[in-house]
Amino acid sequence: MKKFLAVILAAIMLLSVVSVAAADEKTVLTMWCIATESDANRPAYEQAIAEFEAAHPDIEIKWEAFENQSYKTKIKTAMSDPSTLPDIFFTWAGAFCGDFVEQGNVYCLNDAYKAYADQLPEVMMQNASYGENGDHYAVPLTMNIVTLFANMDLLAKAGWDHVPTTYEDLIACCDALVAAGIIPFGCAGSETWCVTEYLEPIIEKTIGYEALNAIFAGKATWNDPAIAKAVDVFQEMIVKGYFDPDGLSLGNDQVKANFIAGKTAFYQNGSWNCGEVNDAEGNFQVALFPVMDAEKATYGQVIGGPSDSLAVAATSANPELAAMAAFELGRGICHYGYLAGSGLPAWTPDYDTSAVKPLVADVAKIVAESEGMVLFGDTAMSADPANIYLNYVSQVYGCEIDGAGFVEGLTNTLQ
Amino acid sequence: MMEHRKLKASTVIVHLLLIVLVLINLFPLYWMMTFSLKDNDEIFGGYLKDDAGTIIYDEDGQKIPVERNMIGLPRNWRWINYNRALNTGNMGRYFLNSLVVSVMAILLTLLAAFMATYAMTRMVWKGRKMMNKFFMLGLTIPIHAALVPVFLILSRLKLLDTYTALIVPYAAFSLSMGILISIGFMGDIPYDLDEAAFLDGCNEWGTFGRVILPLMMPATATVGIYTFLQCWNELLFATIFVSKGEFVTLPVGVKQLVGQHTTDWGPVGAALAIATIPTMIVYILLSRRIQEGFIAGAVKG
Amino acid sequence: MKRALTYRLSIIAFLLPALILFVGILIAPIIMSVIYSMHDFKAISGADMNYVGFKNYVELFSREMVNEKGAFFTNVNYMGDALVNALILGALSVFIQLPLALLIALKLSKGIRGERAYLSIFFMPVLISTVIIGQLWKNIYEPDGLLNNALGALGVKDQLFSWISSHIYSTKMPFKGAWTGYKETALIAAFIPILWQYVGYHMLLMYAGIKGVPTDLLEAAQLDGCTEGQVNRHIIIPYIKPILRVCVIFAVTGSLKSFDLIYTLMNDTRRAELPSTLMYKLTFLNNRYGLGSAIAVVLIILCFAFALLISLAFKDRGEKVA
Repeated sequence: MKKFLAVILAAIMLLSVVSVAAADEKTVLTMWCIATESDANRPAYEQAIAEFEAAHPDIEIKWEAFENQSYKTKIKTAMSDPSTLPDIFFTWAGAFCGDFVEQGNVYCLNDAYKAYADQLPEVMMQNASYGENGDHYAVPLTMNIVTLFANMDLLAKAGWDHVPTTYEDLIACCDALVAAGIIPFGCAGSETWCVTEYLEPIIEKTIGYEALNAIFAGKATWNDPAIAKAVDVFQEMIVKGYFDPDGLSLGNDQVKANFIAGKTAFYQNGSWNCGEVNDAEGNFQVALFPVMDAEKATYGQVIGGPSDSLAVAATSANPELAAMAAFELGRGICHYGYLAGSGLPAWTPDYDTSAVKPLVADVAKIVAESEGMVLFGDTAMSADPANIYLNYVSQVYGCEIDGAGFVEGLTNTLQ
Repeated sequence: MMEHRKLKASTVIVHLLLIVLVLINLFPLYWMMTFSLKDNDEIFGGYLKDDAGTIIYDEDGQKIPVERNMIGLPRNWRWINYNRALNTGNMGRYFLNSLVVSVMAILLTLLAAFMATYAMTRMVWKGRKMMNKFFMLGLTIPIHAALVPVFLILSRLKLLDTYTALIVPYAAFSLSMGILISIGFMGDIPYDLDEAAFLDGCNEWGTFGRVILPLMMPATATVGIYTFLQCWNELLFATIFVSKGEFVTLPVGVKQLVGQHTTDWGPVGAALAIATIPTMIVYILLSRRIQEGFIAGAVKG
Repeated sequence: MKRALTYRLSIIAFLLPALILFVGILIAPIIMSVIYSMHDFKAISGADMNYVGFKNYVELFSREMVNEKGAFFTNVNYMGDALVNALILGALSVFIQLPLALLIALKLSKGIRGERAYLSIFFMPVLISTVIIGQLWKNIYEPDGLLNNALGALGVKDQLFSWISSHIYSTKMPFKGAWTGYKETALIAAFIPILWQYVGYHMLLMYAGIKGVPTDLLEAAQLDGCTEGQVNRHIIIPYIKPILRVCVIFAVTGSLKSFDLIYTLMNDTRRAELPSTLMYKLTFLNNRYGLGSAIAVVLIILCFAFALLISLAFKDRGEKVA
């Protein structure tokens, strides 16, 4: 026992000696992010940081990556004592970052942005701009939209050579697939965010992007019979067997694997999957969800936008330097993430894009031609309404409430 | 003769039931080991890939489908999962950190719990029952409720990003259980011993150090294990109170292998196996100690 | 006189380490939680903290609320259901898990062959990370998972599913084997692994207690011709009562605080909500820190009340026996 203790004590002393590494002249900038070991963005972060440190030998980036879910808890807790924040931290745009800005914990990037305005369109900064003047507070990395992935081999088996673009087409296509013994859609009904990947485009394609934007921004209520109808249509599709009947208790990893293995014809999820679907080397295409009501919506309206961002803490000892680093790193991560297919560029590419994966390039084209954009609901709304909204969405897939219940509940709770 | 045979039959039944329970309890371990040697294609179903993740084609240029394999042995033993967990994840360092934090938390818990128990059971004063109930309050606090307040306390004391940031809260949260166990054990020690020690000229500290502590060895193992359980797999405090890589503990390290949208589950399984197996071995060694400690205690009693 | 003073000082000295830890890390947060629970927060940082009295508590226990326009709506933050779930879990724990643990501990402590091996193995699930346990049970409960395949092999799948379908009230969707997807089945599905994982935990405590029973007591009983059952009932169980009390307290308070396994098993805990999962959600997802603190305070009061009640129950019976 005594020996054991001695070993432990020796280990502690050794560790503390190692920890006090010799301090050199370099300015150290600390950064927290969520690019964990198996995250699709990890290589992009590594490349961007290496490139930045090579270009700025006097600066050292000390960065730590945390798992997505625990990071949300960590960063919110750290805000209760801003002195514990790192210089640069990952945040989602929209209300998530907005809360931190309101608390005065985020450094304003208006000045630093000027040097990058020609490479980073101001519209890309909008999701993290707050206040009357639209001050900028976070640097976008990649952007993503909800994408409809289609397995063209399975569609061909049902006699279809294109992805449907209208409601009538969609129903005809799904009926043909079901008749051919193929499940049309895969959706992880147990993960609420995966349900929103279907529900939000369906609502958008029913009421139009402007109406949905107004609701997410709190400028309009949910009280719209068209939304109730959209939810009912979604549930009708589920009940009719257009969706994997097992979906209610499947996770997203499984649903995606099923799609790639050819078990479902469509999979609708974020465009960050493009690289992975592309590398599966199948006959896949990317598209958008069909138009439900042609009077109010057009095919080119999308859900998504730049959300993954880097922000600078107001408590940073070197805020100007950190702001510069945030922009440089943001540009690098965007660059390498785009090439790897883990996202679309929020920054205008000034490099050779011929190596971009075909599916990724296709989605980039869809974004370039988009006819209106609505940010993901849970990012656009502030925390409390966003999670009440998610609570209601989670009752949709299992048909625990119908469209009228969805609309009435959200209208009265969030009025 | 009859009696003897009857006994044997019942013993067999008992053993059979116990063995069924053994299988049920060993299954997760088996499952973890096989899980740690598979890749996502085998876990979820997909197409055959090599260790680098490139799709393998057969002679006809077709992809080779891999069926889901939930409980079977791995079809391709992906030892590379362990390489990836060890190399990319820096598991060795995390393991050492977890060990340091756990051992120090156990020692702190033992010291505080034994001393407090001694004062509450073997010293006579008004309000010692109340004090005991006060400590019981600790059993009732959900760890998540204390998160933000403890964070604020630690940051005021400038203790974040140190081993202490984890050791102290872990010990505090184990303390009530430690005291509860200690009270049971210390109650078994005859009070005559205290009196004998007192007549020999020992004061309270002498009695505590020379008489009580040696007799509390069985409790050491039990309290140690329960405290260890509290610390070893703890994720929430470990994520929030520590941000620097050099102090990261195993559960946080394992989580660092989980991505935002995509995760290679094989290396996660490997990391979990790396975290679990040494624990198992230590436990088996310790469980021997508990029993020996008991026998020693019984002889002295 | 001087002796009394040093005695008093050493009492304080003996208590000091425990008190510092306890007050600093546990009591201070309780007090802070009580204060926070009477405020409304915009964010955890405490910027814009408004005193609201007991409003958060009222909200927690209102199934329905009225908005400013006078319309009624279902309160998604209602804590009642979660509390009932936790109490069910506590009852299952006390009346199924603990007796099972006691039975195993009694058998093992009798010097059965392979005692140590059994002991070690039964405790193993406690040592395995909840991440693994959660993933394993996810696979068990999946539509194409181990449970449904086993039911299919036994040939009872279809009948069972249609029976369950007729007893599902939360939705009209027929039950097709998504165990964690329906409120009714999700609760049971979540409780089984929790109960299973901690049988060994309680068993070890009880085993330790039984091993502490003086051998001469047991020998005397055997000489008197007591059967195994009689020894268990009249000597061992009364002797290990303090340990049993600890186990019961732990089972009940543990159930009220239970979090980890549900959180890893379910992507969305709504269908098997417990107070602690609701607290986590409200605090860290909804940013309703005041409301989350109110749950914490309710939980602490309940846990403490239960711990006292259980202690009293054990005391009463102890006196009757004596």
